Amino acid sequence: MAVASARRRPRPVTTMNDALGTMPEGPAAWTRRWIARRLFAIGIVIALVLTVVWATTPVAYFWPGWIFFAVLFPSAMTWSVRLALRAKVRRPLAVHAAVSFVISAALVAIWLLSSHRIFWPIWPMLGLVIVFAAHALFAPSGSTWREKALAERVDVLTRSRRGALDVHVAEMRRVERDLHDGAQARLVSLGMSLGMADELLDSDPAGAHRQLAEARRAAGDALADLRALVKGIMPPVLADRGLAGAVYALVVASPLPVEVTMELPAERLPAPVESAAYFAIAEALTNVIKHSGASFAWVVVMQANGVLSMTVGDDGHGGADPGQGSGLRGIQHRLEAFDGTMQLSSPSGGPTVVTMEVPCELSSPKT
Amino acid sequence: MRAVIAEDLALLRDGLIRLLTAHDVEVVAAVGDGPSIVGALLDHRPDVAVVDVRLPPTFTNEGLLAAIEARKRLPGLPVVVLSQYVEPLYARELLSDRGGGLGYLLKDRVMDVGTFVESVRRVAAGGTVMDPEVVSQLFEKRARDEQIGRLTPREREVLALVAEGRSNAAVADHLVVSEKAVSKHIANIFLKLDLAPSEDDNRRVMAVLAYLDS
Ligand SMILES: Nc1ncnc2c1ncn2[C@@H]1O[C@H](COP(=O)(O)OP(=O)(O)O)[C@@H](O)[C@H]1O
Ligand SMILES: [Mg+2]
Repeated sequence: MAVASARRRPRPVTTMNDALGTMPEGPAAWTRRWIARRLFAIGIVIALVLTVVWATTPVAYFWPGWIFFAVLFPSAMTWSVRLALRAKVRRPLAVHAAVSFVISAALVAIWLLSSHRIFWPIWPMLGLVIVFAAHALFAPSGSTWREKALAERVDVLTRSRRGALDVHVAEMRRVERDLHDGAQARLVSLGMSLGMADELLDSDPAGAHRQLAEARRAAGDALADLRALVKGIMPPVLADRGLAGAVYALVVASPLPVEVTMELPAERLPAPVESAAYFAIAEALTNVIKHSGASFAWVVVMQANGVLSMTVGDDGHGGADPGQGSGLRGIQHRLEAFDGTMQLSSPSGGPTVVTMEVPCELSSPKT
Repeated sequence: MRAVIAEDLALLRDGLIRLLTAHDVEVVAAVGDGPSIVGALLDHRPDVAVVDVRLPPTFTNEGLLAAIEARKRLPGLPVVVLSQYVEPLYARELLSDRGGGLGYLLKDRVMDVGTFVESVRRVAAGGTVMDPEVVSQLFEKRARDEQIGRLTPREREVLALVAEGRSNAAVADHLVVSEKAVSKHIANIFLKLDLAPSEDDNRRVMAVLAYLDS
Protein backbone atom coordinates (compact mmCIF):
# COMPACT_ATOMS: atom_id res chain seq x y z
CA MET A 1 0.00 0.00 0.00
CA ALA A 2 2.65 2.41 1.10
CA VAL A 3 4.78 1.63 -1.94
CA ALA A 4 1.89 2.13 -4.35
CA SER A 5 0.96 5.51 -2.95
CA ALA A 6 4.60 6.57 -2.89
CA ARG A 7 4.85 5.68 -6.56
CA ARG A 8 1.71 7.55 -7.44
CA ARG A 9 2.63 10.72 -5.68
CA PRO A 10 5.44 12.09 -7.90
CA ARG A 11 3.17 12.43 -10.91
CA PRO A 12 1.49 15.75 -10.16
CA VAL A 13 4.91 17.17 -9.33
CA THR A 14 6.21 16.26 -12.78
CA THR A 15 3.18 17.78 -14.49
CA MET A 16 3.62 20.95 -12.56
CA ASN A 17 7.26 21.14 -13.56
CA ASP A 18 6.26 20.69 -17.21
CA ALA A 19 3.71 23.44 -16.92
CA LEU A 20 6.23 25.72 -15.27
CA GLY A 21 8.75 24.87 -17.97
CA THR A 22 6.48 25.72 -20.92
CA MET A 23 4.72 28.71 -19.46
CA PRO A 24 7.12 31.52 -20.43
CA GLU A 25 7.33 30.39 -24.09
CA GLY A 26 4.01 31.81 -25.31
CA PRO A 27 1.65 30.55 -28.04
CA ALA A 28 3.82 31.53 -31.06
CA ALA A 29 6.74 29.32 -30.02
CA TRP A 30 4.35 26.50 -29.18
CA THR A 31 2.85 26.66 -32.69
CA ARG A 32 6.31 26.62 -34.23
CA ARG A 33 7.22 23.48 -32.31
CA TRP A 34 3.96 21.80 -33.25
CA ILE A 35 4.64 22.43 -36.95
CA ALA A 36 8.27 21.29 -36.66
CA ARG A 37 7.24 17.96 -35.13
CA ARG A 38 4.69 17.29 -37.89
CA LEU A 39 6.67 18.63 -40.82
CA PHE A 40 6.82 15.25 -42.53
CA ALA A 41 3.06 14.62 -42.21
CA ILE A 42 2.28 18.14 -43.42
CA GLY A 43 4.58 17.65 -46.42
CA ILE A 44 2.91 14.36 -47.34
CA VAL A 45 -0.56 15.91 -47.02
CA ILE A 46 0.45 18.82 -49.29
CA ALA A 47 1.94 16.38 -51.83
CA LEU A 48 -1.24 14.25 -51.81
CA VAL A 49 -3.41 17.33 -52.29
CA LEU A 50 -1.26 18.37 -55.24
CA THR A 51 -1.51 14.82 -56.66
CA VAL A 52 -5.30 15.15 -56.60
CA VAL A 53 -4.96 18.54 -58.30
CA TRP A 54 -2.68 16.94 -60.94
CA ALA A 55 -5.18 14.14 -61.55
CA THR A 56 -7.92 16.67 -62.38
CA THR A 57 -5.71 18.42 -64.96
CA PRO A 58 -4.88 17.01 -68.42
CA VAL A 59 -1.07 17.39 -67.88
CA ALA A 60 0.61 14.02 -68.43
CA TYR A 61 3.93 14.72 -66.70
CA PHE A 62 3.71 13.71 -63.02
CA TRP A 63 5.10 16.92 -61.59
CA PRO A 64 3.96 16.34 -57.93
CA GLY A 65 6.67 13.68 -57.86
CA TRP A 66 9.14 16.48 -57.12
CA ILE A 67 7.10 17.49 -54.07
CA PHE A 68 7.20 13.87 -52.85
CA PHE A 69 10.94 13.90 -53.50
CA ALA A 70 11.45 17.10 -51.50
CA VAL A 71 9.49 15.68 -48.57
CA LEU A 72 10.94 12.17 -48.58
CA PHE A 73 14.63 12.89 -49.17
CA PRO A 74 15.45 14.77 -45.91
CA SER A 75 13.35 12.35 -43.86
CA ALA A 76 14.93 9.28 -45.40
CA MET A 77 18.36 10.75 -44.75
CA THR A 78 17.54 11.51 -41.09
CA TRP A 79 16.03 8.10 -40.41
CA SER A 80 18.76 6.08 -42.04
CA VAL A 81 21.54 7.99 -40.28
CA ARG A 82 19.74 7.55 -36.98
CA LEU A 83 19.43 3.84 -37.64
CA ALA A 84 23.11 3.59 -38.59
CA LEU A 85 24.13 5.34 -35.36
CA ARG A 86 22.61 2.47 -33.43
CA ALA A 87 25.16 0.04 -34.88
CA LYS A 88 27.19 -1.73 -32.20
CA VAL A 89 30.37 -2.11 -34.24
CA ARG A 90 32.03 0.03 -36.94
CA ARG A 91 29.57 2.83 -36.48
CA PRO A 92 31.26 5.34 -38.84
CA LEU A 93 31.10 2.76 -41.63
CA ALA A 94 27.42 2.14 -41.01
CA VAL A 95 26.70 5.87 -41.27
CA HIS A 96 28.71 6.03 -44.48
CA ALA A 97 26.68 3.14 -45.93
CA ALA A 98 23.37 4.74 -44.96
CA VAL A 99 24.27 8.12 -46.51
CA SER A 100 25.52 6.48 -49.69
CA PHE A 101 22.38 4.40 -50.01
CA VAL A 102 20.01 7.34 -49.55
CA ILE A 103 21.97 9.45 -52.07
CA SER A 104 21.81 6.57 -54.56
CA ALA A 105 18.09 6.21 -54.03
CA ALA A 106 17.69 9.97 -54.55
CA LEU A 107 19.66 9.79 -57.80
CA VAL A 108 17.44 6.99 -59.07
CA ALA A 109 14.35 9.01 -58.10
CA ILE A 110 15.67 12.05 -59.98
CA TRP A 111 16.34 9.80 -62.99
CA LEU A 112 12.80 8.43 -62.85
CA LEU A 113 11.28 11.91 -62.51
CA SER A 114 13.31 13.41 -65.37
CA SER A 115 14.31 11.77 -68.67
CA HIS A 116 14.02 8.00 -68.76
CA ARG A 117 16.72 7.54 -71.35
CA ILE A 118 20.20 6.37 -70.39
CA PHE A 119 20.60 5.29 -66.75
CA TRP A 120 23.17 7.92 -65.85
CA PRO A 121 22.96 7.45 -62.02
CA ILE A 122 25.07 4.32 -62.47
CA TRP A 123 28.23 6.47 -62.61
CA PRO A 124 27.85 8.47 -59.40
CA MET A 125 26.60 5.27 -57.71
CA LEU A 126 29.73 3.44 -58.80
CA GLY A 127 31.80 6.28 -57.34
CA LEU A 128 29.95 6.00 -54.05
CA VAL A 129 30.52 2.25 -53.92
CA ILE A 130 34.26 2.67 -54.55
CA VAL A 131 34.61 5.31 -51.82
CA PHE A 132 32.65 3.07 -49.43
CA ALA A 133 34.83 0.07 -50.26
CA ALA A 134 37.96 2.12 -49.61
CA HIS A 135 36.57 3.25 -46.28
CA ALA A 136 35.66 -0.31 -45.29
CA LEU A 137 39.10 -1.64 -46.25
CA PHE A 138 41.41 1.01 -44.88
CA ALA A 139 39.61 2.33 -41.81
CA PRO A 140 41.13 0.99 -38.55
CA SER A 141 39.64 -2.48 -38.45
CA GLY A 142 36.80 -3.06 -36.04
CA SER A 143 37.25 -0.52 -33.33
CA THR A 144 38.12 3.07 -32.68
CA TRP A 145 40.90 3.94 -30.23
CA ARG A 146 38.21 4.47 -27.61
CA GLU A 147 36.88 0.98 -28.07
CA LYS A 148 40.43 -0.37 -27.92
CA ALA A 149 41.14 1.54 -24.71
CA LEU A 150 37.94 0.15 -23.21
CA ALA A 151 38.85 -3.39 -24.21
CA GLU A 152 42.29 -2.96 -22.65
CA ARG A 153 40.73 -1.60 -19.49
CA VAL A 154 38.40 -4.60 -19.27
CA ASP A 155 41.45 -6.87 -19.60
CA VAL A 156 43.26 -5.05 -16.79
CA LEU A 157 40.20 -5.09 -14.55
CA THR A 158 39.58 -8.78 -15.18
CA ARG A 159 43.17 -9.59 -14.34
CA SER A 160 43.33 -7.37 -11.26
CA ARG A 161 40.00 -8.63 -9.99
CA ARG A 162 41.16 -12.21 -10.35
CA GLY A 163 44.39 -11.27 -8.56
CA ALA A 164 42.49 -9.56 -5.76
CA LEU A 165 40.16 -12.54 -5.38
CA ASP A 166 43.13 -14.90 -5.30
CA VAL A 167 44.75 -12.80 -2.59
CA HIS A 168 41.46 -12.72 -0.70
CA VAL A 169 40.88 -16.47 -0.92
CA ALA A 170 44.46 -17.21 0.09
CA GLU A 171 44.03 -14.85 3.02
CA MET A 172 40.81 -16.53 4.18
CA ARG A 173 42.45 -19.94 3.86
CA ARG A 174 45.37 -18.76 5.95
CA VAL A 175 43.03 -17.37 8.61
CA GLU A 176 41.10 -20.65 8.71
CA ARG A 177 44.28 -22.69 9.02
CA ASP A 178 45.76 -20.41 11.68
CA LEU A 179 42.57 -20.62 13.74
CA HIS A 180 42.36 -24.35 13.32
CA ASP A 181 45.95 -25.13 14.22
CA GLY A 182 46.32 -22.30 16.70
CA ALA A 183 43.62 -20.87 18.93
CA GLN A 184 41.12 -23.71 18.41
CA ALA A 185 43.64 -26.44 19.20
CA ARG A 186 44.81 -24.53 22.26
CA LEU A 187 41.27 -24.13 23.56
CA VAL A 188 40.72 -27.88 23.19
CA SER A 189 43.91 -28.51 25.14
CA LEU A 190 42.80 -25.97 27.74
CA GLY A 191 39.51 -27.82 28.16
CA MET A 192 41.33 -31.11 28.55
CA SER A 193 43.61 -29.69 31.23
CA LEU A 194 40.62 -28.33 33.12
CA GLY A 195 38.87 -31.68 32.90
CA MET A 196 41.92 -33.48 34.24
CA ALA A 197 42.36 -30.93 37.02
CA ASP A 198 38.76 -31.55 37.99
CA GLU A 199 39.41 -35.29 38.26
CA LEU A 200 42.62 -34.86 40.21
CA LEU A 201 41.34 -32.20 42.61
CA ASP A 202 40.63 -34.59 45.49
CA SER A 203 43.08 -37.44 44.90
CA ASP A 204 46.15 -35.46 43.75
CA PRO A 205 45.99 -31.71 44.51
CA ALA A 206 49.56 -31.19 43.28
CA GLY A 207 48.72 -32.82 39.97
CA ALA A 208 45.58 -30.69 39.71
CA HIS A 209 47.73 -27.59 40.21
CA ARG A 210 49.99 -28.65 37.38
CA GLN A 211 47.00 -29.17 35.09
CA LEU A 212 45.61 -25.75 36.00
CA ALA A 213 48.94 -24.11 35.25
CA GLU A 214 48.92 -25.96 31.93
CA ALA A 215 45.40 -24.67 31.22
CA ARG A 216 46.45 -21.13 31.95
CA ARG A 217 49.38 -21.46 29.58
CA ALA A 218 47.11 -22.77 26.84
CA ALA A 219 44.75 -19.80 27.34
CA GLY A 220 47.68 -17.38 27.11
CA ASP A 221 48.97 -19.05 23.95
CA ALA A 222 45.50 -18.98 22.38
CA LEU A 223 45.30 -15.25 23.08
CA ALA A 224 48.75 -14.71 21.58
CA ASP A 225 47.71 -16.63 18.45
CA LEU A 226 44.55 -14.59 18.07
CA ARG A 227 46.53 -11.39 18.54
CA ALA A 228 48.96 -12.33 15.79
CA LEU A 229 46.07 -13.28 13.53
CA VAL A 230 44.22 -10.01 14.07
CA LYS A 231 47.41 -8.07 13.47
CA GLY A 232 47.71 -9.76 10.08
CA ILE A 233 44.13 -8.95 9.09
CA MET A 234 43.45 -5.55 10.61
CA PRO A 235 46.20 -4.12 12.80
CA PRO A 236 44.53 -2.40 15.77
CA VAL A 237 46.91 0.54 15.56
CA LEU A 238 45.63 1.21 12.03
CA ALA A 239 42.04 1.20 13.28
CA ASP A 240 43.07 3.47 16.17
CA ARG A 241 45.25 5.98 14.41
CA GLY A 242 44.77 5.74 10.67
CA LEU A 243 47.54 5.38 8.11
CA ALA A 244 49.84 8.09 9.45
CA GLY A 245 49.77 6.76 13.01
CA ALA A 246 50.16 3.16 11.92
CA VAL A 247 53.15 3.96 9.69
CA TYR A 248 54.66 5.85 12.57
CA ALA A 249 54.16 2.80 14.81
CA LEU A 250 55.98 0.67 12.23
CA VAL A 251 58.86 3.09 12.25
CA VAL A 252 59.00 3.21 16.05
CA ALA A 253 59.32 -0.58 16.09
CA SER A 254 61.88 -0.73 13.29
CA PRO A 255 65.44 -1.78 14.12
CA LEU A 256 66.74 0.53 11.37
CA PRO A 257 66.63 4.28 11.46
CA VAL A 258 63.81 5.28 9.13
CA GLU A 259 63.20 8.80 7.91
CA VAL A 260 59.49 9.42 7.48
CA THR A 261 57.82 12.14 5.47
CA MET A 262 54.04 12.12 5.52
CA GLU A 263 51.67 14.58 3.95
CA LEU A 264 48.26 13.16 4.65
CA PRO A 265 44.95 14.93 5.13
CA ALA A 266 43.58 15.14 8.66
CA GLU A 267 40.54 13.04 7.77
CA ARG A 268 40.79 9.29 7.36
CA LEU A 269 41.40 7.69 3.98
CA PRO A 270 38.81 5.15 2.76
CA ALA A 271 39.29 2.07 4.93
CA PRO A 272 40.11 -0.46 2.17
CA VAL A 273 42.72 1.83 0.61
CA GLU A 274 44.16 2.61 4.03
CA SER A 275 44.55 -1.07 4.78
CA ALA A 276 46.09 -1.93 1.40
CA ALA A 277 48.49 0.99 1.75
CA TYR A 278 49.47 -0.02 5.28
CA PHE A 279 50.24 -3.61 4.34
CA ALA A 280 52.18 -2.46 1.28
CA ILE A 281 54.39 -0.15 3.36
CA ALA A 282 54.76 -2.78 6.09
CA GLU A 283 55.89 -5.41 3.57
CA ALA A 284 58.34 -3.04 1.91
CA LEU A 285 59.83 -2.09 5.30
CA THR A 286 60.00 -5.73 6.38
CA ASN A 287 61.90 -6.46 3.18
CA VAL A 288 64.37 -3.70 3.95
CA ILE A 289 64.96 -5.18 7.40
CA LYS A 290 65.07 -8.81 6.24
CA HIS A 291 66.86 -8.67 2.91
CA SER A 292 68.58 -5.38 2.11
CA GLY A 293 71.51 -5.15 4.52
CA ALA A 294 70.75 -1.43 4.60
CA SER A 295 71.78 0.91 7.39
CA PHE A 296 69.06 3.40 6.64
CA ALA A 297 65.59 3.51 5.14
CA TRP A 298 63.15 6.20 4.19
CA VAL A 299 59.41 6.34 3.72
CA VAL A 300 57.38 9.01 1.96
CA VAL A 301 53.58 8.93 2.05
CA MET A 302 51.55 11.61 0.32
CA GLN A 303 48.00 12.18 -0.72
CA ALA A 304 47.44 14.80 -3.39
CA ASN A 305 45.15 15.24 -6.40
CA GLY A 306 43.22 12.10 -5.64
CA VAL A 307 46.32 9.89 -5.57
CA LEU A 308 47.95 8.29 -2.57
CA SER A 309 51.62 7.75 -3.30
CA MET A 310 54.01 5.78 -1.15
CA THR A 311 57.73 5.33 -1.53
CA VAL A 312 59.97 3.09 0.53
CA GLY A 313 63.69 3.24 -0.12
CA ASP A 314 66.85 1.84 1.45
CA ASP A 315 70.60 2.13 1.02
CA GLY A 316 71.14 -1.63 0.90
CA HIS A 317 72.63 -3.94 -1.71
CA GLY A 318 69.60 -4.10 -4.03
CA GLY A 319 68.72 -7.05 -6.22
CA ALA A 320 65.10 -7.35 -5.11
CA ASP A 321 63.11 -9.66 -7.34
CA PRO A 322 59.35 -10.17 -7.06
CA GLY A 323 59.83 -13.61 -8.67
CA GLN A 324 61.85 -14.78 -5.66
CA GLY A 325 59.16 -14.45 -3.05
CA SER A 326 55.53 -13.68 -2.42
CA GLY A 327 55.64 -10.35 -0.61
CA LEU A 328 56.21 -7.95 -3.48
CA ARG A 329 53.73 -9.74 -5.74
CA GLY A 330 51.26 -9.64 -2.88
CA ILE A 331 51.63 -5.85 -2.71
CA GLN A 332 51.08 -5.59 -6.43
CA HIS A 333 47.88 -7.62 -6.34
CA ARG A 334 46.54 -5.79 -3.34
CA LEU A 335 47.14 -2.42 -4.98
CA GLU A 336 45.83 -3.51 -8.39
CA ALA A 337 42.50 -4.25 -6.77
CA PHE A 338 42.23 -0.50 -6.23
CA ASP A 339 43.64 0.41 -9.63
CA GLY A 340 46.97 1.05 -7.99
CA THR A 341 50.47 0.28 -9.20
CA MET A 342 53.79 -0.79 -7.75
CA GLN A 343 57.15 -0.06 -9.33
CA LEU A 344 60.39 -1.53 -8.16
CA SER A 345 63.85 -0.20 -8.82
CA SER A 346 66.52 -2.40 -7.31
CA PRO A 347 69.71 -2.62 -9.34
CA SER A 348 72.33 -5.01 -8.06
CA GLY A 349 74.43 -2.95 -5.63
CA GLY A 350 71.42 -0.88 -4.64
CA PRO A 351 69.72 1.26 -3.70
CA THR A 352 66.22 -0.24 -3.67
CA VAL A 353 63.20 2.00 -4.13
CA VAL A 354 59.63 0.73 -4.15
CA THR A 355 57.13 3.25 -5.51
CA MET A 356 53.44 2.62 -5.04
CA GLU A 357 50.40 4.60 -6.11
CA VAL A 358 46.68 4.20 -5.48
CA PRO A 359 43.88 6.46 -6.67
CA CYS A 360 42.22 7.71 -3.52
CA GLU A 361 39.40 10.17 -3.15
CA LEU A 362 38.67 11.13 0.42
CA SER A 363 35.69 9.28 1.82
CA SER A 364 34.08 11.97 3.91
CA PRO A 365 34.29 15.70 3.43
CA LYS A 366 35.59 17.58 6.42
CA THR A 367 32.81 18.55 8.77
CA MET B 1 43.69 0.83 48.47
CA ARG B 2 41.02 2.50 46.31
CA ALA B 3 40.72 1.95 42.55
CA VAL B 4 38.65 3.29 39.65
CA ILE B 5 38.29 0.98 36.68
CA ALA B 6 37.27 1.70 33.09
CA GLU B 7 36.15 -1.31 31.06
CA ASP B 8 33.15 -1.52 28.74
CA LEU B 9 32.71 -5.29 28.53
CA ALA B 10 30.59 -6.35 31.49
CA LEU B 11 32.19 -9.80 31.53
CA LEU B 12 35.66 -8.37 32.06
CA ARG B 13 34.56 -5.50 34.24
CA ASP B 14 32.83 -7.82 36.72
CA GLY B 15 35.82 -10.16 36.67
CA LEU B 16 38.22 -7.32 37.39
CA ILE B 17 36.07 -6.01 40.24
CA ARG B 18 35.85 -9.47 41.78
CA LEU B 19 39.57 -10.06 41.38
CA LEU B 20 40.62 -6.73 42.89
CA THR B 21 38.06 -6.86 45.69
CA ALA B 22 39.29 -10.34 46.64
CA HIS B 23 42.74 -8.82 47.09
CA ASP B 24 41.71 -5.94 49.33
CA VAL B 25 41.48 -3.34 46.60
CA GLU B 26 38.30 -1.33 46.91
CA VAL B 27 36.76 -0.48 43.53
CA VAL B 28 35.16 2.91 44.17
CA ALA B 29 33.89 3.44 40.63
CA ALA B 30 33.63 1.50 37.39
CA VAL B 31 32.97 3.38 34.15
CA GLY B 32 32.22 1.96 30.72
CA ASP B 33 33.27 4.66 28.26
CA GLY B 34 36.10 7.04 27.50
CA PRO B 35 34.53 10.43 28.22
CA SER B 36 33.56 9.41 31.80
CA ILE B 37 37.08 8.45 32.83
CA VAL B 38 38.63 11.82 33.60
CA GLY B 39 35.56 12.97 35.51
CA ALA B 40 35.44 9.80 37.62
CA LEU B 41 39.13 10.16 38.43
CA LEU B 42 38.74 13.81 39.42
CA ASP B 43 35.75 12.93 41.58
CA HIS B 44 37.23 9.93 43.36
CA ARG B 45 40.96 10.64 43.40
CA PRO B 46 41.74 6.90 43.65
CA ASP B 47 45.11 5.36 44.54
CA VAL B 48 45.15 3.71 41.14
CA ALA B 49 43.16 3.67 37.90
CA VAL B 50 42.83 0.53 35.78
CA VAL B 51 41.89 1.54 32.23
CA ASP B 52 41.06 -0.50 29.13
CA VAL B 53 42.48 1.00 25.92
CA ARG B 54 39.51 0.35 23.64
CA LEU B 55 36.31 1.93 24.87
CA PRO B 56 33.15 3.52 23.51
CA PRO B 57 32.29 5.78 21.78
CA THR B 58 35.05 5.38 19.16
CA PHE B 59 36.21 1.88 20.13
CA THR B 60 39.76 2.82 19.20
CA ASN B 61 42.31 4.05 21.72
CA GLU B 62 39.92 6.12 23.78
CA GLY B 63 41.18 4.73 27.10
CA LEU B 64 44.83 5.38 26.29
CA LEU B 65 44.13 9.01 25.42
CA ALA B 66 41.98 9.43 28.54
CA ALA B 67 44.78 8.01 30.71
CA ILE B 68 47.28 10.46 29.23
CA GLU B 69 44.82 13.33 29.67
CA ALA B 70 44.03 12.32 33.26
CA ARG B 71 47.72 12.32 34.14
CA LYS B 72 48.03 15.83 32.75
CA ARG B 73 45.19 16.96 35.02
CA LEU B 74 46.35 14.93 38.03
CA PRO B 75 50.15 14.65 37.67
CA GLY B 76 51.52 11.40 39.01
CA LEU B 77 48.10 9.72 39.16
CA PRO B 78 48.93 5.99 39.05
CA VAL B 79 47.35 4.34 35.99
CA VAL B 80 47.44 0.75 34.78
CA VAL B 81 46.52 0.60 31.09
CA LEU B 82 45.20 -2.76 29.90
CA SER B 83 44.79 -3.87 26.32
CA GLN B 84 44.23 -6.91 24.10
CA TYR B 85 47.44 -5.97 22.31
CA VAL B 86 50.41 -3.78 23.07
CA GLU B 87 52.12 -1.30 20.82
CA PRO B 88 55.59 0.16 21.53
CA LEU B 89 54.34 3.49 20.19
CA TYR B 90 51.66 3.61 22.89
CA ALA B 91 54.18 2.64 25.56
CA ARG B 92 56.31 5.56 24.45
CA GLU B 93 53.36 7.94 24.63
CA LEU B 94 52.42 6.73 28.10
CA LEU B 95 55.96 7.03 29.38
CA SER B 96 56.59 10.44 27.86
CA ASP B 97 55.65 12.33 31.02
CA ARG B 98 58.33 10.31 32.88
CA GLY B 99 56.17 10.54 36.00
CA GLY B 100 56.23 6.94 37.17
CA GLY B 101 53.17 5.26 38.61
CA LEU B 102 52.43 3.72 35.27
CA GLY B 103 51.61 0.26 34.01
CA TYR B 104 51.01 -0.97 30.47
CA LEU B 105 49.89 -4.59 30.35
CA LEU B 106 48.24 -7.12 28.10
CA LYS B 107 44.86 -8.21 29.39
CA ASP B 108 46.23 -11.77 29.36
CA ARG B 109 48.20 -10.88 32.47
CA VAL B 110 45.11 -10.91 34.68
CA MET B 111 45.21 -14.72 34.35
CA ASP B 112 48.27 -14.72 36.60
CA VAL B 113 46.28 -13.21 39.43
CA GLY B 114 49.07 -12.90 41.98
CA THR B 115 51.47 -11.16 39.61
CA PHE B 116 48.72 -8.91 38.27
CA VAL B 117 47.63 -7.68 41.69
CA GLU B 118 51.29 -7.17 42.61
CA SER B 119 51.72 -5.05 39.45
CA VAL B 120 48.72 -2.90 40.35
CA ARG B 121 50.17 -2.37 43.83
CA ARG B 122 53.58 -1.44 42.44
CA VAL B 123 52.04 1.11 40.08
CA ALA B 124 49.94 2.53 42.93
CA ALA B 125 53.19 2.95 44.85
CA GLY B 126 54.70 4.98 41.99
CA GLY B 127 56.49 2.18 40.16
CA THR B 128 56.58 1.41 36.43
CA VAL B 129 55.36 -1.90 35.05
CA MET B 130 55.89 -2.70 31.40
CA ASP B 131 54.45 -5.77 29.71
CA PRO B 132 57.04 -8.42 28.77
CA GLU B 133 55.58 -8.33 25.25
CA VAL B 134 56.49 -4.65 24.88
CA VAL B 135 59.96 -5.37 26.22
CA SER B 136 60.49 -8.25 23.82
CA GLN B 137 59.38 -6.07 20.91
CA LEU B 138 61.87 -3.43 22.01
CA PHE B 139 64.57 -6.11 22.16
CA GLU B 140 63.71 -7.20 18.62
CA LYS B 141 64.06 -3.63 17.52
CA ARG B 142 67.52 -3.52 19.10
CA ALA B 143 68.53 -6.92 17.75
CA ARG B 144 71.52 -5.45 15.88
CA ASP B 145 72.63 -3.14 18.64
CA GLU B 146 76.35 -3.56 19.24
CA GLN B 147 76.20 -2.59 22.89
CA ILE B 148 73.45 -5.08 23.61
CA GLY B 149 75.46 -7.62 21.62
CA ARG B 150 78.20 -7.28 24.23
CA LEU B 151 75.86 -8.42 27.02
CA THR B 152 75.97 -12.04 28.17
CA PRO B 153 72.75 -14.05 27.76
CA ARG B 154 72.16 -13.86 31.52
CA GLU B 155 72.70 -10.08 31.48
CA ARG B 156 70.19 -9.79 28.65
CA GLU B 157 67.69 -11.71 30.75
CA VAL B 158 68.28 -9.39 33.67
CA LEU B 159 67.96 -6.35 31.39
CA ALA B 160 64.56 -7.57 30.14
CA LEU B 161 63.31 -8.12 33.68
CA VAL B 162 64.51 -4.70 34.78
CA ALA B 163 62.77 -3.16 31.75
CA GLU B 164 59.55 -4.85 32.86
CA GLY B 165 59.89 -2.84 36.06
CA ARG B 166 60.87 -5.55 38.49
CA SER B 167 62.83 -4.82 41.64
CA ASN B 168 66.18 -6.48 42.36
CA ALA B 169 64.48 -8.86 44.74
CA ALA B 170 61.88 -9.82 42.13
CA VAL B 171 64.56 -10.36 39.48
CA ALA B 172 66.56 -12.52 41.91
CA ASP B 173 63.42 -14.48 42.70
CA HIS B 174 62.59 -15.02 39.05
CA LEU B 175 66.07 -16.18 38.07
CA VAL B 176 66.61 -18.10 41.31
CA VAL B 177 69.85 -16.28 42.11
CA SER B 178 70.92 -14.07 44.99
CA GLU B 179 70.03 -10.39 45.09
CA LYS B 180 73.75 -9.62 45.26
CA ALA B 181 74.31 -11.45 41.97
CA VAL B 182 71.50 -9.41 40.42
CA SER B 183 73.03 -6.12 41.61
CA LYS B 184 76.32 -7.14 40.06
CA HIS B 185 74.65 -7.99 36.74
CA ILE B 186 72.83 -4.68 36.74
CA ALA B 187 76.01 -2.74 37.41
CA ASN B 188 77.70 -4.52 34.49
CA ILE B 189 74.74 -3.89 32.18
CA PHE B 190 74.68 -0.18 32.96
CA LEU B 191 78.40 -0.01 32.35
CA LYS B 192 78.19 -1.77 29.00
CA LEU B 193 75.27 0.40 27.85
CA ASP B 194 76.87 3.66 29.06
CA LEU B 195 73.93 4.34 31.37
CA ALA B 196 74.27 6.30 34.58
CA PRO B 197 73.75 3.90 37.50
CA SER B 198 70.82 4.69 39.76
CA GLU B 199 69.58 3.27 43.03
CA ASP B 200 66.08 4.62 42.38
CA ASP B 201 63.99 1.77 40.91
CA ASN B 202 61.79 3.98 38.82
CA ARG B 203 64.58 6.05 37.34
CA ARG B 204 66.35 2.82 36.49
CA VAL B 205 63.38 1.43 34.57
CA MET B 206 62.99 4.71 32.72
CA ALA B 207 66.64 4.75 31.74
CA VAL B 208 66.51 1.19 30.46
CA LEU B 209 63.25 1.70 28.53
CA ALA B 210 64.53 4.94 27.04
CA TYR B 211 67.68 3.14 25.93
CA LEU B 212 65.73 0.28 24.32
CA ASP B 213 63.29 2.62 22.62
CA SER B 214 65.86 5.06 21.24
N1 LIG C 1 64.77 -4.03 -0.07
C1 LIG C 1 65.37 -5.12 -0.60
N2 LIG C 1 66.71 -5.17 -0.78
C2 LIG C 1 67.30 -6.26 -1.30
N3 LIG C 1 66.64 -7.37 -1.69
C3 LIG C 1 65.30 -7.39 -1.54
C4 LIG C 1 64.60 -6.28 -1.00
N4 LIG C 1 63.29 -6.59 -1.00
C5 LIG C 1 63.18 -7.82 -1.50
N5 LIG C 1 64.38 -8.33 -1.83
C6 LIG C 1 64.64 -9.64 -2.47
O1 LIG C 1 63.55 -9.95 -3.30
C7 LIG C 1 62.95 -11.16 -2.92
C8 LIG C 1 61.46 -11.08 -3.04
O2 LIG C 1 60.93 -10.28 -2.02
P1 LIG C 1 59.44 -10.56 -1.53
O3 LIG C 1 58.58 -10.66 -2.73
O4 LIG C 1 59.07 -9.55 -0.52
O5 LIG C 1 59.51 -12.01 -0.88
P2 LIG C 1 59.92 -12.49 0.59
O6 LIG C 1 60.19 -11.28 1.42
O7 LIG C 1 58.72 -13.25 1.03
O8 LIG C 1 61.12 -13.33 0.40
C9 LIG C 1 63.42 -11.45 -1.51
O9 LIG C 1 63.54 -12.82 -1.28
C10 LIG C 1 64.77 -10.75 -1.45
O10 LIG C 1 65.78 -11.62 -1.87
MG1 LIG D 1 59.01 -9.79 1.67
